[in-house]
Formats: sequence, structure tokens, C-alpha cells
Amino acid sequence: MFKSILEAFKNLFKPVRTINYPAQEITLPSGYRGLIEHDHEACIYCDKCEKVCPPGAILFFQKESGDKEYRYNPWLCIYCGECVRACPKPQEALWQSETKQQSGVKEDSANEGWFVWEEACKKSRETYAVAKKTPKSKIKSEEPLCVS
Amino acid sequence: MKKTIQIPLGSQHISLLEPIRFKFECENERIIGVDADVGFVHRGVELACTRSFEFKQVGYVVARVCGLCAITHSLSYTLAVEKLLGYVANDRIKYLRMLMVELDRIHSHMLCLAHTAENAGFEALFMQIMGDRELVMEVQEAISGNRVQFDYISIGGVNRDLTSDLCDLIRKNLTILSEKMEILTGLFDNNWSLSLKYKGVGVLSLEDAYTYNALGPLARASGLATDVRAETSDFPYEALGYTMILESTGDIHARNFVRLREIVNSITMCQNIVDNLPIGEIQEKVKGKPKGEDIIRIEAPRGELFYLVRGNGTNMLERVRIKTPTFSGIPAMMEVFKGSQYADAPAILASFDPCMSCTAK
Repeated sequence: MFKSILEAFKNLFKPVRTINYPAQEITLPSGYRGLIEHDHEACIYCDKCEKVCPPGAILFFQKESGDKEYRYNPWLCIYCGECVRACPKPQEALWQSETKQQSGVKEDSANEGWFVWEEACKKSRETYAVAKKTPKSKIKSEEPLCVS
Repeated sequence: MKKTIQIPLGSQHISLLEPIRFKFECENERIIGVDADVGFVHRGVELACTRSFEFKQVGYVVARVCGLCAITHSLSYTLAVEKLLGYVANDRIKYLRMLMVELDRIHSHMLCLAHTAENAGFEALFMQIMGDRELVMEVQEAISGNRVQFDYISIGGVNRDLTSDLCDLIRKNLTILSEKMEILTGLFDNNWSLSLKYKGVGVLSLEDAYTYNALGPLARASGLATDVRAETSDFPYEALGYTMILESTGDIHARNFVRLREIVNSITMCQNIVDNLPIGEIQEKVKGKPKGEDIIRIEAPRGELFYLVRGNGTNMLERVRIKTPTFSGIPAMMEVFKGSQYADAPAILASFDPCMSCTAK
């Protein structure tokens, strides 16, 4: 009892333990799991990161020319680093930075914008698959004609 | 005329961290009947594990069942799947996983102690314990790279290695913490105003603990020797200085003391792990797909955590069943309330350390 009263008096003269946050920066420890970053040049577009990503925050948009476009949602990402571990060229094509993600505001349209992208990526693959198949099927349909 | 009066506690209440509703049947100030409702935060995690995610991703999903024991959930799931795949982790992986689980136990117990103090009306002690808890949170953040969602354990190993800098940080922080724990133990033992709220309040007798299947610190405070760490051999706990901590009185004071002494025990174990870390790979390739059914039991901070995983040889699992410690402890908790004062209810509830988002998942 007296001990705790003494302790309470002592605490009056001890320095403050909290951080004065907006005025004083919080130092993140080294090795903080931050945003996933991607290098367009080094990537071989094998889609492995897209397949392993638990929340599905990485998508590839299939262009008609055969190229792919990397799309990433930093607000959906859980920063687990599973994509980096799955990447055949880690640290070159895909790596985890120590930048902290800022919270999303309405202008970012973190949800709605991403739903549109998700839909577009899915559609782009389907159309690409159809476009790739059509010449083959045409050839196949022509072949029996040639034989006959 | 009706002699009893019904007083609800929750689902929104100032003493509650998470939504749970108790309906107390009171006779004057004394509680004679309890009714509990726990399903306020149901999120359908179990179904999501079998419908939307592949088995390699589920570990990250179940980690989000609970914020406090995230590592225990992902570890239990991972161990169950590794059993199905026939993979046995090497010693280094086992030690690193154990280290994280024990750190998790320390900070979870400290949160519970802080809340019990707060609900007994000792706000300053709450602040003090939460301040000391930062020492452990710092270590966990440095090891795993994130403060709450560790995402440290994956199938076939752990995601990050322990460097020598980290080892130094762990040793330094744990030494400071063990000094602080001595002060805290003295405070919980000798403080007169705390003893009014704790000693002889919310007693669970040994027979009741048996009958209602109490588990975790709640059971050990009544003298029931049950601890999954001593019962299973998944991890080399005995070699690292694990001791079963038992109290006999079964009141809030005993529960606090089980937690305080378990923290001290966990600190010793963590120091032993860091000092005797074996050499080896931290991530190994595991091939195959889970087929068959297996269960796993892990001692979470609140008691036994049970996982059932059933696979059919494809990427999607057939069934993931999670039985959390709070869920199993509800009958025992309801028994403790009977016969105690209504004014003591928040402190008693906090001393159970209930985790509602675990329970409802």
C-alpha cells in the first residue's frame, strides 16, 4: 500500500512514456513489412504471385497484343510476402519495401475502382483466350474439308 | 410478486472489449442465474476456409480469427496440414515457432491483467501494464515485421529468420520485462484496494472446474492440472524449462497469479530458446496435397485450441473446424457468476480473458 503510494509520487517526475505522434515521427523497425513493389522490366509475367496471393491483391491485365499489365491493390494487400517467396526472380522483379501504406481516402476508390479492375482483368483473359482459340478452331474446321 | 430482477450486461458495455451479452437474474445485488449469448461477431471464417481459399492460403485466413492469438491459430492450422502432408519440421523451425507462441502468451496475459486491473477500478495500473507490454510488442514487431498480424508461420517453416541483432533485442527487452514483472507481482500481491476486489471473489472450485470442463488459466487457478503443453509432444517444452503453474483458491487473485507466474515462466523459456537456437533451414519445400483428416491441440494463452482439418487431395479443403478456448470455457464461466455480487461482474468477466471474436469467428 505505502509502496504503491510512493510509486505514484515517483511517477510524477518520470518522463512521459507515450509518443507525441503527429509532431514526433514513429520509427518503424528495420525489416518492416511494407508495400509490395514491382519492376516491369525484370518481371517474366509467370503469374505465380497472382496465384498464391491470399486476398487476391495482385492481378494481371491481359492485353490483346499478348503483353500483361501488373495491377496491385495496396489496400487489399495483407503484406504477408507470400508473392515475393513465390517469385522466381525475387528482389529483382518483385520485392517487399519498408514503406508504410497510407490509409485510403474516398478519392482513392479503394473498393469500387478495384472491383472494376477485377472485372476487367477477368474479361481480358476470357477475350484473349477466345481470340487465341479461334484461329486454331478455324484451322481444325477447315482440315476435314480439305480431306474430303 | 416476482422477487428477482433481470439485469443485462452487454452486448455493448463499458467494461467489455468485445460484444458478448450476459443476462443476469439478480436477487437484490446477488446473481443467481446467468444466460450468455456470444454470437455477435460471426464472420463465417470456417466456411470461407473451405470455399474461397486454397489450403496454402488458409493459414493467413485463420490468423485473422483473433488479433491477440493470431500466431497460435496459424500455427495450429499449419501443424494440422503438415501432419496430413507427412512433414516434420526441423528443430530450428520448431524453436522459432515456439518463441513466437510464448511471446504471444506473454503479451496476451499482460493485456488480460491490465483489463482486470481496469475493471477493478485501478486505471493507473492498466496504463502501467499496457506500457510494459510494449516491450514484447516491440520484439514481435521486429521479428515478424508487423505489430498485430504477424503472418510469420507458413506451411513448411517460418517466413523470417532470427538475426543476432534481433537476439540481442529480445534478450534486452525480456530482461527489462522480468524486472518489471517482479514489481507487478508485488503490486498484485500486496495492494490493499486490489485485494478487496480480487481475493475470494468469483471462486471456481476444483469440482466445478472438473464438472464444467474448465481449461487454461481458469482451470489451473482452481488447481486442475491441465495444460496442452505438458500433454502433447509437438514441441520440446520440457527441455526448455516449462513448469506447470497451479494455484488452489480459484478466485480472481489466483487467476491473476497464474498469469503472472506463467509470464515469468514464458520469459525464461524465450531466453532459453534464444540462447540455444539450433542451426538449420527456416523454410523447407513441402509437396503434396492434404488428404485425410487430422486434429491438433495447442495451448493458446486462454486454454486449449482445437483444430480439425479434412482434405480430399485437392487444393480446397473439405472442412476446417476451430474450437476456441473461450467457447469451451463458457459453462465454467457461467458457474462462477452464480452467487457473486453484480458489481463484481465486470472484474470477474475480465479475469476470464474472454475472446469473443475467436468464439464467434
